[in-house]
Amino acid sequence: MARHSVIDDTGPLGVVIVGAGFIADHHGAALRASSRARLAGIVDVDAGRASAAATAAGGVPWTTDLAEALARPGVDAAIVCTPNMTHEPIAQQIAAAGKHLLMEKPLTITVPSARAVVEAFDAAGTVVMAAHTHRFYDYARAVDDAIAGGAVGRPVFARLALLGGWIWPDWRAWVLDPAKSGGHALHNGVHLLDLVSWWLRDEPVSVYARGRAQTAAELRIYDYLEMHVEYAGGADAVCEMSRGHRPSTLDRRDVLVAGTDGVLQLPADGWGSTVVTESGTSLLHPQAANGFAVQLDAWLDAIADRAAERAMTPADAVRAVALGVATELSIERGEPVTLDEVMEGVRS
Amino acid sequence: MSDATLGVLLLGFAGLGPDQDHQRAMYQPAFEAHPGFEIVDAALDDPAVDVVSVCVEPERRADAVIAALQAGKHVLVDKPLALTAADAAKVATVAAETGKVCLPAHHQRFHPMIAAARGAVAGGKVGLPWNVQADFLVAGGTPSPAGELANFAVYPLDVVLALTGLRARRVFARLGTHWSDGDADDFALLLLTHENGLTSTISVGRTRSLADTRPAGLAVHRYRVSGSHGVLDIDASRPAVVLRRAEASSQVWHGPGTVDRLLDELHAAVTAGRPSSPSAADAVHIAEIVDAARASAASGHPVDLSTEKEGSR
Ligand SMILES: NC(=O)c1ccc[n+]([C@@H]2O[C@H](COP(=O)([O-])OP(=O)(O)OC[C@H]3O[C@@H](n4cnc5c(N)ncnc54)[C@H](O)[C@@H]3O)[C@@H](O)[C@H]2O)c1
Repeated sequence: MARHSVIDDTGPLGVVIVGAGFIADHHGAALRASSRARLAGIVDVDAGRASAAATAAGGVPWTTDLAEALARPGVDAAIVCTPNMTHEPIAQQIAAAGKHLLMEKPLTITVPSARAVVEAFDAAGTVVMAAHTHRFYDYARAVDDAIAGGAVGRPVFARLALLGGWIWPDWRAWVLDPAKSGGHALHNGVHLLDLVSWWLRDEPVSVYARGRAQTAAELRIYDYLEMHVEYAGGADAVCEMSRGHRPSTLDRRDVLVAGTDGVLQLPADGWGSTVVTESGTSLLHPQAANGFAVQLDAWLDAIADRAAERAMTPADAVRAVALGVATELSIERGEPVTLDEVMEGVRS
Repeated sequence: MSDATLGVLLLGFAGLGPDQDHQRAMYQPAFEAHPGFEIVDAALDDPAVDVVSVCVEPERRADAVIAALQAGKHVLVDKPLALTAADAAKVATVAAETGKVCLPAHHQRFHPMIAAARGAVAGGKVGLPWNVQADFLVAGGTPSPAGELANFAVYPLDVVLALTGLRARRVFARLGTHWSDGDADDFALLLLTHENGLTSTISVGRTRSLADTRPAGLAVHRYRVSGSHGVLDIDASRPAVVLRRAEASSQVWHGPGTVDRLLDELHAAVTAGRPSSPSAADAVHIAEIVDAARASAASGHPVDLSTEKEGSR
């Protein structure tokens, strides 16, 4: 039964973090810096990780049982940082408990399950947002500001490349198992697919993608993805997501947007400073806003005012999943795949 | 370079559309400036003519090149060498039979940044190449009535093929008209799969004019070659001395331009009695890709190239 949580307008929102792994630290730091929300507990199936994270956070409650955490007084919401294949059941449990959710991307790894999650939160009357964090980074906002301001007219062609070295900490991690992560398109590809679709303000209609296991023949995911998206308004986008580029010390971002009235570029050498030392060349990132903190605020804004325009809607989250699924399917088939097809839930 | 001065006949002053005349705009001044050539005013069969520079209308171009080759002359031919792969193949066959040089004017591969990059890739600097990304966006000038797939795409296609040495096997393409008023495409996106599993993506188009880019100048011209052992970023807007002044900014560099270097290759191939690089066979493969791109854009599906006709490289 869906229950509606009663949020005390005067105090900060109580948030539990579910999944105390790599990305949870970033959300924890954002929570610590916020006066609008507070960390109300940690949940992890691994008791050691849960307790360690809880201790590090100053002794907040921890548990291995999500239901127990959600039932605790003062818990209004959850930020879920667990492996992708666990997102659907955890999201459903949180919706059923009547809590708000910031779900790490992807919302889920299939279109039907993503839709079901959105419907469950609609029914519960609580907020669900997928953490497409790139939307909240300065570089992405700078591009978006320019496009929104009409700098290039109507954008007709966009390129976005994120090329970096290996970031996965463990070669045995779930991320490398397509059954658990959904594949690299759903794991990291969705960042770019979502960002470009947001920039272009247009609806994707089909995806033609190529994938490559570049780093090692034994990889079961494509560490290099080349994804072409066609949009309803006639625009094209090319997104490259790569963990196959070397060296890992140079993480390169490249943006090109051509519009009816101009061209916008964030060249790979145009952001950050290069540091050349005896041990090689690396990139020094510019000082920037904490994207996780900006994202947290956007989520808290959505919770505080349900009528307000959302920085990232549930429909956007479903669309990102659909784009990721279409990418994986297109690579498999060697043919373009329409969003209509995957929205019908062919792969459910 | 040998001392031999070659007599050049300028044949035709036409191009794709009424405004295009590369003969007067590009080749004639380059021939005039080049110490190895002398423009002669003579008939095609005149022994004073060693080389014919062909810029006749595209519809008649292949026939004109064939006639020149059969008259025993070497040929520099404006791009595109022919409007279809079938016509280009006829030219290549005659070029091979006559043993004469037939150099398609794919001069961007002689750009100093690109020429150096070709050497670096061939020398193994990035290891085994597995991907190339290219952007070739021109700003302003007169849109080609034949479309920019027919007009401009030849250049970045030639560069990608020259950089990698790997022929295309599969073509997926999108064509759009975003900037010009006519029906002709002014934007093409080419997603190619090559031999060895290399993939490439090439954007090519002509936007409206932009400040600080001369009319019909390149606003974005770059290539990224990713290989097993490294990445090579080629920005063909460099090398450049950047001049910033009150009225506008501009860039300058010293040394021969890409068309001058194209003529160096023409002269070297003729005097050495060897085929030119690029050759007519290279133009055939590019025409095949352009044909396939058109078919792919129309159908919305990738198009496989036949592997029967192997051009020599
Ligand atoms: N927004 C971003 O930029 C970004 C970056 C990296 C990862 N992510 C996303 O964050 C999520 C987590 O990734 P990560 O790299 O932190 O993973 P991780 O493997 O480092 O951590 C996952 C944690 O979840 C725990 N866990 C597993 N199943 C659980 C369950 N059913 N209930 C509770 N805990 C469970 C594990 O014990 C582990 O501690 C993924 O969805 C990933 O896609 C997002």
